[in-house]
Amino acid sequence: MSTARLRLRRAPLHAAAVVTIVLCLFPVYWMITTAFKPNRDIQSASPQFLPHTWTLEHFRTAVDADGFALFWRNSILVTLSAVLLALIVALGASFAVARMRWRGRRQFMLLVFVAQMAPWEALIIPVYIISRDTGMLDRLPTLTLVYFMMTLPFTIVVLRGFIAAIPQELEEAAQVDGCTRMRAFRHITFPLLAPGLMATSLFGYVTAWNEFAYANFLIIKHQDSRTLPVWLSSFQNVFGTDWGATMAASTLFALPALVVFLLLQRHVTSGFAAGAVKG
Amino acid sequence: MKLRMLAGVSALVIAGGLSACSGGSGSSGDSADGTTTIDVWLMRDSISAQFQKEFVKGFEAAHPHIKVKVQIQEWDGIGNKVTAALASNDAPDVIETGNTQVAQFAQSGGLLDLSDKVDELGGSNWLKGLAEPGAYDGKQYGIPYYAANRVVIYRTDLFKKAGVDPAAIKTRDQWIAATKKLNSSGSQGIYLPGQMWYALAGFIWDEGGDLATRTGGTWKGTLDTPQALRGMDFYKKLQALGKGPKDSDEAEPPQAEVMAKGQVAQIISTPGGANVVTQNNPDLKGKLGFFPIPGKTAARPGSVFIGGSDLVIPAASGKQDAAFTFVKDLTGDAWQRKLAAAMSYVPNKTTLADAVASDPGASAMAVGAAVGRATPNTPGWAAVEAKNPIKDYMTAVLTGGNAKEEAAKSSDAITAAMKGGS
Amino acid sequence: MSVTREHSAAPARVRLRRPTTRPVRQEPGGVRRRRGAGAWPYLLAAPTVLGMLYLLVYPLARAVLISLQDFQLRQLIRGNAEFVGLRNYETLLTDERFWQVVRRTFLFMAVNVVLIMLLATLVALLIERLGRRWRLALLSALVLAWAMPVIAATTVFQWLFHSEFGIVNWSLKHLGFSSFDRYPWFAHGPAAFTILVLLIVWQSVPFAAITLYSALTTVPSELYESARIDGASGGRIFRSVTFPMIRPIFMLVFSLEVIWTFKAFVQIWVMTNGGPGDATTILPVYAVQTALSSQRYDLGSAASMVSVLLMAAVLVLYFRQMFRQEGEAL
Repeated sequence: MSTARLRLRRAPLHAAAVVTIVLCLFPVYWMITTAFKPNRDIQSASPQFLPHTWTLEHFRTAVDADGFALFWRNSILVTLSAVLLALIVALGASFAVARMRWRGRRQFMLLVFVAQMAPWEALIIPVYIISRDTGMLDRLPTLTLVYFMMTLPFTIVVLRGFIAAIPQELEEAAQVDGCTRMRAFRHITFPLLAPGLMATSLFGYVTAWNEFAYANFLIIKHQDSRTLPVWLSSFQNVFGTDWGATMAASTLFALPALVVFLLLQRHVTSGFAAGAVKG
Repeated sequence: MKLRMLAGVSALVIAGGLSACSGGSGSSGDSADGTTTIDVWLMRDSISAQFQKEFVKGFEAAHPHIKVKVQIQEWDGIGNKVTAALASNDAPDVIETGNTQVAQFAQSGGLLDLSDKVDELGGSNWLKGLAEPGAYDGKQYGIPYYAANRVVIYRTDLFKKAGVDPAAIKTRDQWIAATKKLNSSGSQGIYLPGQMWYALAGFIWDEGGDLATRTGGTWKGTLDTPQALRGMDFYKKLQALGKGPKDSDEAEPPQAEVMAKGQVAQIISTPGGANVVTQNNPDLKGKLGFFPIPGKTAARPGSVFIGGSDLVIPAASGKQDAAFTFVKDLTGDAWQRKLAAAMSYVPNKTTLADAVASDPGASAMAVGAAVGRATPNTPGWAAVEAKNPIKDYMTAVLTGGNAKEEAAKSSDAITAAMKGGS
Repeated sequence: MSVTREHSAAPARVRLRRPTTRPVRQEPGGVRRRRGAGAWPYLLAAPTVLGMLYLLVYPLARAVLISLQDFQLRQLIRGNAEFVGLRNYETLLTDERFWQVVRRTFLFMAVNVVLIMLLATLVALLIERLGRRWRLALLSALVLAWAMPVIAATTVFQWLFHSEFGIVNWSLKHLGFSSFDRYPWFAHGPAAFTILVLLIVWQSVPFAAITLYSALTTVPSELYESARIDGASGGRIFRSVTFPMIRPIFMLVFSLEVIWTFKAFVQIWVMTNGGPGDATTILPVYAVQTALSSQRYDLGSAASMVSVLLMAAVLVLYFRQMFRQEGEAL
């Protein structure tokens, strides 16, 4: 087959690919370009697909809004702590499930699967009452714990798949060479597991970074503890007509997730899916 | 190696989170030198930042042992926020709530009963439209803060250009005719968003209808009565004389900003809206006038909803004495005069009406206030406003729906909401 | 971390579930695992179990309790809720509006899941057939769409469908549909419903497509070749070779999407609040509305419990799958 004919045969494929890419990217693109356009171009009868003039004015509005830096810090803090906590706890649990035989293992996994379906919206009121009665309202660690539990089941399920995929023979060989079990895990299994850990943490990262309902309901009086999603939604109330500023705020909010995902793209596509295969 | 690092980092982060928070939550409460810090929640745009600063400064100077921390709340979703605050152990000390919301919170037992302070606060002269909704079951929970009702804000230059005399607009028919004239190529006759349900309520009251009525012990939505349908019909006619969006209310986009930016001849707003207009477009200074919403006949101005706010003190507040001092000062005569003048509000006492006599916006407001009405005073009404089927109804009719059918549907929704919410 | 290692890692796990490899794994496993007995596994699993007990089971039990009490704003603030048995469930199950919401929830779920699975399968097949560079471009685009935070995406969709300045109305108008000039999408039930479906499909297809694609890569190419030699058409190959091979993963993604669309809440809450009217009110939204807006925490909890049961019923499928896999792995 000549290359020309091959190319011709592949044309419909490539056309489909282009359509898919455009559909995927357009909302992201539109968010970012709107954020850079001056107001008169945003509210014009014929939209511009490429901004004629670029402006940083909307980003200034967003960053200058009350407490932006503080909420950014809160979000990062809560998200990172929740994800790290979930990873550490899940690492232990999934190692036990994937590598050890013990009574109750099956029931344990079933519990994890059921926990994945937890109706979190329904638990807001009880969690509110419990936090109130234990003096944990208005505090970021409460949010951290909730997010930790939201992401934990999925993290265990996926990590278990990764651990199971690492040949046990490697660890055993190390143990034969005189390593303790702990050391074997640390030096052999853990490095092999790194991509899996990264892929898994993304899920937790996105969940915690996004969460709105609990952040909105558990942080009441101490408004300095608010997180970005709550800020974004109240920003919309204040700057509702200012679509440029709203899009700039959305961009700033989405940016960390977009960057992290792009950087870890390889792990996301291969690793994450591979874990889910087992889950 | 990596694992240890990971664990170390996470411990750090978690510890950091804990310490950051415990440091923060310690900011409220009594400090060693005897000063008390009170948390106050005020609503967005109810007072200007400048007035707030002035008042807090004055208050702290008069009461050196009290410090005030004001947090501005958004109207959107405020019901849940206040609920969560009232139910917590560490509630804010003073909260501003809409006058129609007090009953619901009072019923729940979350508010401090201030009945024995009414005399001290000069309660006999309070505006009825604020004091009555602030009471529940014979006890006073909400202290009147300020009131406002809607008038027509108009552009004097556009009226002159179109040859319309605002003083001659006394009836609805004259109003429609004038607005038609104003709705020319260059300008909008009136910017009326499709979901301004307070305005619709006024038109319905004018026709002799109501939003909901009580028969026996149960409330029922009554948007589908002939009177109420006539009110909606008028709203539709008026709404068509401008480019107001049919699917949103006056807050989105803020109508004052729309008026500031475009050639809009009239909006229906509280007089305070004029300040926002000129703030956004200083060129319009001196070009804004006010007149009361016209009624069906010249003899009776249009009915309006008396809106406003009360101040409440949560039962869970730890500093009720300091909180009361705050309420007493802010609702006292001296600051009420300043507040009314600064924000063009109706002050909370009838005896203070002279404070805004020279204000054209406030005097237009006073005409309407004479025939002011309120939404049904029942805890269940808050549930209606939370979901607000009236707004959906308005949009449905304005975009071509059958008014009668939609009204019946919406009335059922109101009935259901009032039943569920009480 | 080389690319090759990761690519080999994914198939390795998939292969585990094929009958031919199972005995190889199980036999030595039995010997090895005995060594795992003792306190270690329990210590390792303990934090998870404790966390779940306190942060999940306990609140859930409280939620069940609330659904059996007369629990309104007063009780939230003052305590002393009264036990009323199944009265809340009775109120709920005899409410015609509730059943409307249930029907709408299933419709919403069905439309979303069918669209997601269909599009995701097509996209996965597309990725597999592309050259390296195109594949990378497409995967990156999918990942970016997937990474977009829910609230940001919801805000962007509101902007895209804005009645006055939205690009969608502009495009439709210029394509000749003049009735879309300033069309208020969020004012009409079916239109708002459609936008939410579009949003959720847009957000969900990337995960599903990427997962299905990685499953496709595990199908040995010899199978295709022999099928082609037998003269099978493209559609037939998919039906009789490809699909059976990716079936387990397909079912898994399917179940996850059922869970996720059944629980869709944030998008709807932020975008339409369940409106206009009830047009986009599905069960989770209904439960939160009842609990928070009407302050009937008892009825809201009851509604949540009913929806958990309904979801569990739908997912019997998922659990059967789970059990089968667990059975093999043990």
